Amino acid sequence: MQGSLGKRINELLVLAVLDRGPAHGYQIALSVEESTDGAFSFQHGTLYPILHRLESTGHVKGEWDEETGRGRRKKTYSITSAGQAFLKADSDQLESELRALFGLLRSDAGAA
Amino acid sequence: MPPEHPLSRVERDLRVTPRRRLELLEEVRADAEALEAELVRRGRGRGPARDAAIRQVVPEGEALASLEAQHAPVLRRWAEASGWGDRLERVAISAVAVTVGAFAIWAFHWPAELETRALLAWSQALVVALLAANWTQCAVRLWVMGDLREAERRALWRRQIGLVVAGVALGALGAAWEVHAALGDAWSRAVAGDPTAAPLVWGYVKRATASGMLGLVAATFGLFGWLALTPRLITDEVIERRIARLFTRAPTLSVVPDTTTKEE
Repeated sequence: MQGSLGKRINELLVLAVLDRGPAHGYQIALSVEESTDGAFSFQHGTLYPILHRLESTGHVKGEWDEETGRGRRKKTYSITSAGQAFLKADSDQLESELRALFGLLRSDAGAA
Repeated sequence: MPPEHPLSRVERDLRVTPRRRLELLEEVRADAEALEAELVRRGRGRGPARDAAIRQVVPEGEALASLEAQHAPVLRRWAEASGWGDRLERVAISAVAVTVGAFAIWAFHWPAELETRALLAWSQALVVALLAANWTQCAVRLWVMGDLREAERRALWRRQIGLVVAGVALGALGAAWEVHAALGDAWSRAVAGDPTAAPLVWGYVKRATASGMLGLVAATFGLFGWLALTPRLITDEVIERRIARLFTRAPTLSVVPDTTTKEE
């Protein structure tokens, strides 16, 4: 299995949300929590290391937009084509790995 | 005492370049404010909405460490990965100070016997070595560690200026000593009717000029060395001012003035 499971799931969650369209960091966090009925949530800023890592690997693109009049900036993230390809490949891979895992867990439970 | 701004800890603990720090603070602040507004729009009270927004988006603990690891300068990441993270600064300072000090001792060409002239040259070499050490500490903090805060920056600058003044003072002292020695020697030779007095005085003048020049060399080395750091120091200071403004403009990290907290 490549990378830690938690890290991979977090990256896939973020990419899946961004695959629906560009979003700000807080929108990604809200969307993940709502889409998974609270099973997954990002607390204490854990979203940012994931976003910045995905940005450095070229899977997402972050762009600053000025908020007119207030001199403030917001960062919007969008998925890149490399990110879309990664999302597809890694979610397929994770699915087959989890299938294998649960196959083993359920067969053990059935045998017991 | 006013409560601490929720982003103060991020600003204080995140040891990355001011530019990276500012970007992250701006991003987190914008997200926290927008999330709070969104939660208020969905019917939550302002106080609970703000607490929830801060809890969700303000990085702490592992998130902060992870961000620092991601955004640290390449050299620091390399140093930390190779186990040199804590020692790198001390090793660099010692190596530069010893090398520059040894070069200064060789270049200043002091007399072999232990006398006032030799002591002044030794002191001048020490000042130059300390100037190089101070410069190295500043450069390592800026380019390797990426984080040189205002208080440290000022302390390093004060030390640099102190050493430059010490270099000039030692040069002047050396020149004064040569004049004093020349006058004493010339006077005793003149009294004795020695015709070689004038050429000997010329020798003293040369040595006095050389001593004064050593002071100027030390000062030039100290000031021009610092000048090389100045563009980066100014950039960092400008960004730090923007960070400070970010805190003064939004002292509570909230888009909505907190007027209803007591009712909630």
